[in-house]
Amino acid sequence: MTRTIRILCSLLTAAAIAAPAIAQTGSLKLPPYKKVILRNGMTVLLMEQREVPLVSFNVLTKAGSVHDPSGKEGVASMTAALLRKGTATRSADDFSAQLDFIGGSFGAGASQDATVISAEFMKKDLAKGLELVADAMLQPSFPEAEVKKLAAQRVDGIKSAKDRAAGVIGQYFNAYLYGKHPYARPAGGDETSVASITREDVAKFYEANYTPGGTVMAVVGDFDAAEMAKQLAAVFGAWPAKAAPPAAVADAPEVKGRRLLLVDKPDSTQTYFRIGNIGIARSNPDRVPIEIVNTLFGGRFTSMINTELRIKSGLTYGANSGFAEWKAKGPFFVNSYTGNATTEKALDMTLDVLKRLREKGISDDDLKSAKAYLKGQFPPDIETSDQLAGVLSELVFNGLDEREINTYYAKIDAVTMADVNRVIKQYFPLDNLVIVLVGKASEIEGLAKKYAPVVDRKSISAPGF
Amino acid sequence: MTRPATWLTALAAAVLLAAAVQPAAAQGFDIRTHTLKNGMTILVQEDHSIPNVALYLFYRVGSRNERPGITGISHFFEHMMFNGAKKYGPGEFDRNMEAAGGSNNAYTSENVTVYQNWFPRSALDLIFDLEADRIQNLSFDPEIVESERGVIASERRSSVDGNNFGVLAEQLSAAAFTAHPYQWPVVGWMSDIQAWTLDDLKNHFKMGYSPSNATMVVTGDVTFDEIVAMAQKYIEPIPSNPPPPKVMTKEPEQLGERRVVVRKFAQLPILMMAYHVPETAHADYYALQALETILFSGQSSRLYKRLVDKDQLALSVSGGGDWSFDPSLFTISAQPKAGVDPASVEKAIYEELDRVKADAVTDEELEKAKNILLSGFYRNIKTISGRSNAIGTYEVFFGDYKKLFTAADDFAKVTKADVQRVAKQYFTANNRTVATLVPDAAPAADKK
Repeated sequence: MTRTIRILCSLLTAAAIAAPAIAQTGSLKLPPYKKVILRNGMTVLLMEQREVPLVSFNVLTKAGSVHDPSGKEGVASMTAALLRKGTATRSADDFSAQLDFIGGSFGAGASQDATVISAEFMKKDLAKGLELVADAMLQPSFPEAEVKKLAAQRVDGIKSAKDRAAGVIGQYFNAYLYGKHPYARPAGGDETSVASITREDVAKFYEANYTPGGTVMAVVGDFDAAEMAKQLAAVFGAWPAKAAPPAAVADAPEVKGRRLLLVDKPDSTQTYFRIGNIGIARSNPDRVPIEIVNTLFGGRFTSMINTELRIKSGLTYGANSGFAEWKAKGPFFVNSYTGNATTEKALDMTLDVLKRLREKGISDDDLKSAKAYLKGQFPPDIETSDQLAGVLSELVFNGLDEREINTYYAKIDAVTMADVNRVIKQYFPLDNLVIVLVGKASEIEGLAKKYAPVVDRKSISAPGF
Repeated sequence: MTRPATWLTALAAAVLLAAAVQPAAAQGFDIRTHTLKNGMTILVQEDHSIPNVALYLFYRVGSRNERPGITGISHFFEHMMFNGAKKYGPGEFDRNMEAAGGSNNAYTSENVTVYQNWFPRSALDLIFDLEADRIQNLSFDPEIVESERGVIASERRSSVDGNNFGVLAEQLSAAAFTAHPYQWPVVGWMSDIQAWTLDDLKNHFKMGYSPSNATMVVTGDVTFDEIVAMAQKYIEPIPSNPPPPKVMTKEPEQLGERRVVVRKFAQLPILMMAYHVPETAHADYYALQALETILFSGQSSRLYKRLVDKDQLALSVSGGGDWSFDPSLFTISAQPKAGVDPASVEKAIYEELDRVKADAVTDEELEKAKNILLSGFYRNIKTISGRSNAIGTYEVFFGDYKKLFTAADDFAKVTKADVQRVAKQYFTANNRTVATLVPDAAPAADKK
C-alpha cells in the first residue's frame, strides 16, 4: 500500500527533460556528450557516467505505431517484441540464455511515434551486451512459430488487461478522442487486429520502418567514449543506408462540444473516468508554462483536482491531469475514479475545478510554489545512466539538443502570470470535452446525458476499444 | 526509482519489493551512523552528484501489529501522518514541502511503515521540522478521519475489487495463515476500514510511532555532521514510548494442502500458490533467493520457458518471497491463457519444482542467478532514493545494514545442494495453499 500512485506526470512523460550529475541549485547543465553521425545516417550519442559499473543503451527509431497498416494495429509493437525472438545467429532461447547469464536487461516496445529499445549491462559484460543489442536490431529473423506464439499471447493479454479498468481506459479514451486520426489506434493493437498479424506483416514492417537514418542511439555509463564510438561505428556502420520513413502525422483538430463514451464493466464497484481533449505536441513553445499550470491543476499531490476530490472530500484515492507530448498533438486528460454511488459528485467536482481554473486562475504564491516544485523535482529525473540515455535520445530524436535542459530552469523562472493566464484559456478546455467512463452501466448510465449531448456505449467484453 | 507504482496487494507489493532490492556487491559505499538519546538510529550516506536528498523513515510497525476489528489501521495511519499536526495544520505538510521543491510518499507492509521524502538540499531544515512536528504532535480531527476513510475505501476498491490479482492474493493469504497476523490484508477488510474509531488511531500512534521504533536513512547532498546536528535539534527532544508489544503468535505447521476458489467476472483465470518459508533473517534466505531467480527471472528462467514459451499454457508467471520479520510466504502467480484449464498450469509448475528437487539446478544456472542478483543490486543503488530504501531495508530486516555489503559473499556461498535442499524442504504438497480465480460470465451481484 502506498500513499499515492505517483503520476509519471504530465508533460514530461517518459523522457523528462532534466539535468544530471552536475546540477547546482539555481542552474543546471546536461553533462557533456559526444554526437556521431555514422555514414549510413544513424545518430550515436555517447556520455560517460562512472558512478555505477553499468552501461545503458536507449534507442529510438522511427517505427511508431502510426505506421501500422489499417487492420494490423499492433504490428509495430509486435515487431519490437520479436527482435529478440530469433536472429540470424541466435534462436530466441539462445538470446535469452545469453542475456540472462550476464544479468543484462533488454526491452523493446512501440509508442505512437517511435519504437524504443532499451538495454543495460554490467561494465564487465559490455562486449557481449553490445553484440546482443546489435544482433536484435540488425538481424532479426522473425521465426514463424514465434510470431504465432506472440500473437496468441497478445490477444489474451488484451483480454486480461480489460479485467482491470484502470489499465485500459487510456486506449478507450484515445480511440474515442481521435476518431479516424492515426493516434486513435491502440499501439498494442486489439483482439482482432493482433490475431490477424502474420510473419509477413512483421517482416514487411521491419523492412520498411527500421532504418539507420531514422535511428538515434544513446549510450551512457561506465565506458570510454572514444573507444565506444569506434566499436559502434564498426557494428552499426554495416547497416545498409536507407532513408527514414516519412512520419508526417497531421495534428488532430480539437473536438468541439461534448461527447461521452460509457464502457460497461458490470462487476465494477468504482467508476473510472478520463476527461480531456486534443492537447499539445512535443514542439509546443508553451510547454513550460503549460507544465507549471498542470502542476497546479493536476500534476502533484496538492493540485487543485487532488485537493478537491481526495484531500477535501475523500471521494477517491487519486485525481490527476496531464499532457502527452507526442510528435503531433497528443491528448490532454484528467483522470480519477470513485465509488459507483459518488460518480456524479466526482464528475461535477472535476468540471467545477476546471471551471474555477479558467475563471479564477492561480495566485502568485501558487506560481512560486509550482516553479520551486518543478526545479526541486527535476535533478532526480536525470540522475542515472538509463535516465540520461532516455533523455538524450529523446531530445535528439525530436530535433532538440542539450539547450532544452540547460535553459529549463531559466524558462521556468521566466514564466509570468500573463503567460499562465494565456495558457489556461488556450489549453485547459471546459466546453469542448471528451468524457470516457468505465464502470457499471446499470448503476451510472442515467448520468451520461447530464454531461454530454452525444452518448456512446461499449461493452468491455467486446473486442476493440 | 524503486517505489512501487501502486500497491497491488499486500502480497504482490511485498513480492515487488523483494524483487527490487537485491543483495549487495562486495564493495560498499560509506555509511555513517548515529543513535539519538531517544533511541532513533540515523544512517547517512553522502552523495553529492545531484543537489537532492532522499530521507526515509522506517517505523517497525505494520499490519502484523494489528488485530481483527482494526485490520488495515497501520496503513490508515500512514495516511493520517500527512493530515496535520501542531505547527503544520491540515494540508500544510504537503503544501510546505511542495513549495520548497520537495515531494513525498509512504508505504505500509505487514511489517513496516516507511515514509519517503525527496527534496532539494535547500529544503533540509523544513523537512526535519515537518517530520518532528508529526512524530510528536499529530492531530486527530474527526472530520479529516472520515474523509480519509473514503480515500482508503477507494484505494481498496482499486487494488482489490478492480484488480483480480488483488482479490485472489488476499484470499490466498487469508487461507495460508490460520493464526498469524499475516492472514489479513495490509489495506484491511472493508468492514474494518468503515469501523475504526478515533481511539483506535490514537492508540496505534502511541504504540508504533515512538522515535525508538524508527530508523532514519538519509542519502544525497548532505554531510553526516549536519544531519546529526539537525536530528539532535528536531528529533532528539521527542520522548520515546515502549516498543510495540511483541507478536507472540506463531503460525502452526501446515499439515495438508489448502485450496481456495474465487468466482468472479473476468475474461481470464488466475492461479496462485503459496508455500510457507522462513523470515528474511533466516539462513535459508540466500538459497531461496537463488531458487527464485532460477525459476522466475528472465525469459530463460525455468518457469517462463516451460509455461509461457514451450507449453504455451500461461500468459505470465512470477514468484518470490517477501521481506518479513516472521515466517512468511513464497508465492507463485500465473495467468493461464484463455481456454487453458488452470489445473494443467498447476501440474506443470509442480513438475518443474519436482525437477529441481530430483536433479538440482545446474552450475550455469547458479552462476546466472548470481549475475542477475549482482546487476539488480547495482540498478537498485544507482539512485539516492533506491539506496535509502536498500540501506533501511537491510538495517530493519537483517538487523544490520552491513548485510547489504556482505550479501554478494553470502550469496556466493550458496551451493546447488542448498538450492535443492530448500526446494525439497519448503515446496511440499502439505505446505502449500492453492488459489484459483474462475471467470464468471456475469458479476456475482447480478446472479441471485
